[in-house]
This record gives sequence, C-alpha cells and structure tokens, in this order.
Amino acid sequence: MTDQTLTDTTGNADTMGYWQKVARDGPRMGFWFVLPTLLLLLFIVVFPLLMQLYLSFTWWTPLEGIPWYQAWEVFNWGENYWFMITDPRFWGALWRTVLIMIVAVPAQFFLGMALAYLFIDKFPGRKIFYSIMLTPMMIVPAVVGLMFFLLFQGTGPVNDHLGLPAEFSWLTDVNRAMISVIIADIWQWTPLMFLILLAGMLGVPSDQLLAAKLLGGSNWQNFVKIILPRMKTVIIIALVLRAVECFKIFDLVFIMTKGGPGVQTETISVFLYKQTFGDLEWAYVATIGLSILIALSILAVKGLSYMAKK
Amino acid sequence: MSSIQIQNVTKRFGDFTAVDNISIDIEEGEFVALLGPSGCGKTTTMNMIAGLEDATEGAILFDNQDLGHVRMQDRNIGFVFQNYAIFTHLSVYKNLSYGLEVKKVGKSEIERRVKAMADRMSISHRLDQPASSLSVNEMQKLAIGRSAIVEPRIFLLDEPLSNLDAGFRAYMRAELKVLQHEFGQTMIYVTHDQIEAMSLADKIAIIDQGKLMQYGAPLDIYNDPQNRFVANFVGSPRMNLVDGELREEQGALRLMLHGGAEIRLDGQVKTAFTSDAKVHSGSFGIRPQDIYFGEKRADNDIRMQGKVEVLERVGPKRLAYLQVQETMFLAFDDQAQLRVGDDVPFYLPSGASMAFDLESGRRLGGQ
Repeated sequence: MTDQTLTDTTGNADTMGYWQKVARDGPRMGFWFVLPTLLLLLFIVVFPLLMQLYLSFTWWTPLEGIPWYQAWEVFNWGENYWFMITDPRFWGALWRTVLIMIVAVPAQFFLGMALAYLFIDKFPGRKIFYSIMLTPMMIVPAVVGLMFFLLFQGTGPVNDHLGLPAEFSWLTDVNRAMISVIIADIWQWTPLMFLILLAGMLGVPSDQLLAAKLLGGSNWQNFVKIILPRMKTVIIIALVLRAVECFKIFDLVFIMTKGGPGVQTETISVFLYKQTFGDLEWAYVATIGLSILIALSILAVKGLSYMAKK
Repeated sequence: MSSIQIQNVTKRFGDFTAVDNISIDIEEGEFVALLGPSGCGKTTTMNMIAGLEDATEGAILFDNQDLGHVRMQDRNIGFVFQNYAIFTHLSVYKNLSYGLEVKKVGKSEIERRVKAMADRMSISHRLDQPASSLSVNEMQKLAIGRSAIVEPRIFLLDEPLSNLDAGFRAYMRAELKVLQHEFGQTMIYVTHDQIEAMSLADKIAIIDQGKLMQYGAPLDIYNDPQNRFVANFVGSPRMNLVDGELREEQGALRLMLHGGAEIRLDGQVKTAFTSDAKVHSGSFGIRPQDIYFGEKRADNDIRMQGKVEVLERVGPKRLAYLQVQETMFLAFDDQAQLRVGDDVPFYLPSGASMAFDLESGRRLGGQ
C-alpha cells in the first residue's frame, strides 16, 4: 500500500468504505476464512448461470456432436428468445402456472389466515391440532401427487363420496384436471401459509389487542385495524414465497396428470422437463429457464422492496 | 361513571390462589388504589374488573349490575396498561380516535373530540406523527387520553407511572389527580408504590398474597393499620416493628426481643398487648417520627438506650439507626444533637406505639 492511499482516507472509520479500510489495514483475517466458501459459491451459482446464458444464445443440443463449451460454433444471435416469445406452448405453460398461482396462493392465504386466527387463542387440544395442521407440508410433494392421483380416480374415494359415476373423470378431463391439481396444491401448502401467518399474528402485541378490545372494537374491526397492518411484512413474505414456489410446481402435476390431458395441465416446470428429456432442446430450455428466473427475480425484488419501504 | 362492588371474588390458576375472597366497595367517582407487593394479586383483581380474566368465584357489579356475562368490549372500561399498549403502527390522531371510530361516531365529531383531548393532554403538536415516535412521557399521556376520550364508566390504571422518569412521575401524579377530578371518573389504580397510593387515592385496598389486608382512606390506614403487614408496608421510612416473646414478672410486662433486648411495656400499648390472654409472642410497632430524644415527655413513655450506628440525611432531617443489642430502631434526630457512636437514651411514646399478635399479624387493642 502506498502512502497516497493512506492520506486519501480521512481516517474516520464511519466515512471510510469497506475497501478503504482493507486498503489501510490489509485484508481482515475473516476474509481468508470466507474465501473458500466464496469460491465454492461462485462455482455453484455463478458458473451455471453463465453457462446457461451462453447456451441460450446457441442452437446447441446434446445431439450436436460437439461439447457444450464449443457451442459458439452454432451461435444463433438470440433466435431462441424470439422462438420463445412466439411459442404458444410456452405461453400456455406460463399461463397455466400463473393460473395455479392466482387461484391457489390467494386460497392458501385466506385459509391460512382464517386458521391462524383460530389458533391465536388457546383451546383444548391446540397443540395436537397444530401438529396435524402442519402435516401436509411435511409430506414429499411426489407422495401428495400420488395421494391425489388415487383420490381423484374415476373409481376413487372422491367420486365415491360425491356419488359421481366412475366415468366422471377428474384427471383426464380438460377443465377438471387443472382443478384437481390446484386442490392438491392448496391442500399441501395451506399449512405453510398458516404457519407463517400464525407466527406473524402471534407477533402482534397482545396488550395492544386487549387495548383495542377494551376500547370497544369488535373482533373484525380489531383484526382489520390492528392485526392486519401489523402483519403487513409477514403477509408480503408469505405471498412472495408462495408465488415463487408456485412456479416450481412439478411433482404434483407430473404424477397426477403428466401435464395432460394433452398439455392442459402443463406448467412451466413440466414443459421444461419435457423439452429437456423428450425433445433434448437444451439450449431452448436454458433460454426459458433464464427468462423465468429474471422475471421471478424482478417480481420478488419488487415485492420485497415494497415491503422494505413500509 | 359507575360504582363498583367486588363481592367475595376468588381467582385460582390451577392450585394457585391468586385472589382469595376479596370484597371491595367502590363508590361513584372514587379514586381507589390497589396496593401491594409484586405478585400479591392486585393486577389479577383489576383484570377481573376489566374482564380480561373471569373470577373463579364471586361477582363483580357495576352499578349493582353483574358483569359476569358482559364481554369486555361492552364493559366500556378505560384501561391504561403498564406499558401503555399504544398502537405504534398508527398516528397519534388514529390512536386517540380508535375508540370513537369503532363506535361509528361521526367524522366531524371525532375530529372535535380528538382535538380537544389532544389539547387537554398537550400532545396537539404530535397529532399527525406516528405514535411510535413519542417519548415515554407522551405515550403515557396518549394512553390516558385514548381511554378517556370514549368516556368510560370506570378507569383502570395498571402501574401507569412505573416506566416514567422521576421528575415526570411526580408531575404525572399531580396531573392524574387533576384529571380524575376533571373527568369525575371512578378510577382504580394498581401500584406497588405506597407513596403513589397515599398521595393519589381516596381509598387504598392493601392486598397481600391474594388477601385483602385493609381497605380505607390513606390516613386511616396510616394511623390505624389493622395488621402487621399493613403497618410494615405503609409509611416511609417504614415503621419500626420488633418481634419478641411476652413475659410477665411481678406485674411488669416485657417484650423480650429476639435480638436479646427487651421493652418494658407501659401505658396503652401494654393494655393492648394484654387485651388477648392467648397471645404469647408479639410485635411492637412505632413510627420513626414518634420516637424522641432528650427529656421524658409522658410518664408511661418507654425508655430505651441505644447506640447511634448510622446517621442518614433524609431531606432536612437526619434519620438515626439506633442499635439496641441485636435490634435496630430508626428514629428522626429531632434535636440534631446525635453523633455516630453515641450511646443515647430515647423514648417510645406508649400512645403512639402499636401492638400486633406475631402469629396472626392481627393488631391488638386497636383504636
């Protein structure tokens, strides 16, 4: 380090930036401890992203006969992106994913909120019910898929219970297949919503609730004016989390319907799977994956920054 | 404004009895302090009045109407929490207006009353600010204002001054008294600070271990405590209370103190100790300001001899710690002549002394 660097800094620790401090004091010992992890993370996160970005600008598929790093030979100047924008199957899959999101997430939210509200008061058996409530989200999604696959069979318990004939099919019907998938998703993920919202609700100071009650507020008034505003942060976290998770929905759909009938329940993840292992369009998959990642990141960052402002 | 009758109220939490058969009558417009050490059941009593807890036994009546089946929302109670429970996510204005808004009072009416209350509590300049930005002192005012604005039937305050700094606490004590007169409200005030209770309340209910020890006007309680607990709890500095065995020899009655000293009982206090023949061990009580030095002033005053251990300045006076064998007496150095290490005679006026049964704590031969 030069004297110049030292005289440039004011020496005031508050106004000095991190790197200025490093310039003055040399790297901290902690830096060396963190470095291996940092490199590993770079390799795990940044490398695949760059690889994906690179491939998305080529025609490369594993059938091409050249290793992936030589994919520049089939560089295509972003034609994959154009293809994606004009691919109705992509838009269909995206729309279905969004549909699941805009139906399932609000449903999970309202159910979770209602359940959480029931659980803020103590009642006999609260702990047992609490454990039972959380069970669905503990189950492996593939198993949940299988459960609902069996439940929604023509001769399965659902039809039996509702008194519907075996010909009344759920999973092979154009409209009902989607409904079945959404029901399964709601069943599995309401508990997570419930868990997050309950934690947020219990964080509302109980004396403020009592004060609101003693001032004559009805339960509904106090809920809207005291509990909800205080839960704003938690609510946004829960919604963003579930919205992003929805984009990953795969196991349920794949086991229940395989995306069918036709492509009627094909979500983004299922679509990507089929492109990857059926059509071996790996460059195209990279294009879609990257686009979705960017879109979701913007969504999440917007949501979280909105929350940070409040 | 309401009168309150607490009738034989008991509250149990499992095996633990928090409140044990307490009865208190509070008249309309009265300011009553529930006073006792931490964990004595005073807050539980107040919570039952507010409806936060249900009484296990007994009844609480407002204006002779049983409140057992009235929800707390409908009891119309002003409740000031110990930590104020300000809605910190709302503005000061919204805090004040909350009780009116939920009752669907008209907007202009709300605005008028909020402004008036803010003026009264001198927080008008803060109305538009978030309540979380207030100082503790302002939160205190806001908490009282928020409850007062709905004109509650009764006002409950749970240790409202305990979080304040000393200067503001003294101010707020005076302010509360003024407010109580202005609102003309029945107020119940929970505190463990006997000075607060003595200076504020029309009546004090002293509670210990869930039991009502005494209920009455502050001066009556001070001058005429009904038991050893009350005598010990009320007054600053505390009453001298010395315990010992009663021994009668050749017509003279002495209290043989546990530390080895003895008090030769005489006059009214002797009569008090002899009023119950079953009492064998007793507690002798005398307030520090009643002890005097110098010439004996009355025939049956009791003479003691003790060594000045410590002299402590309390305001303009000095408090002397007088050691008589193992027993310590506190007295005000009324003639400003004592020096540490002096071995001096002092007198316990028989008429101002109190006798208690050590076993039950009961006052013997009270006025």
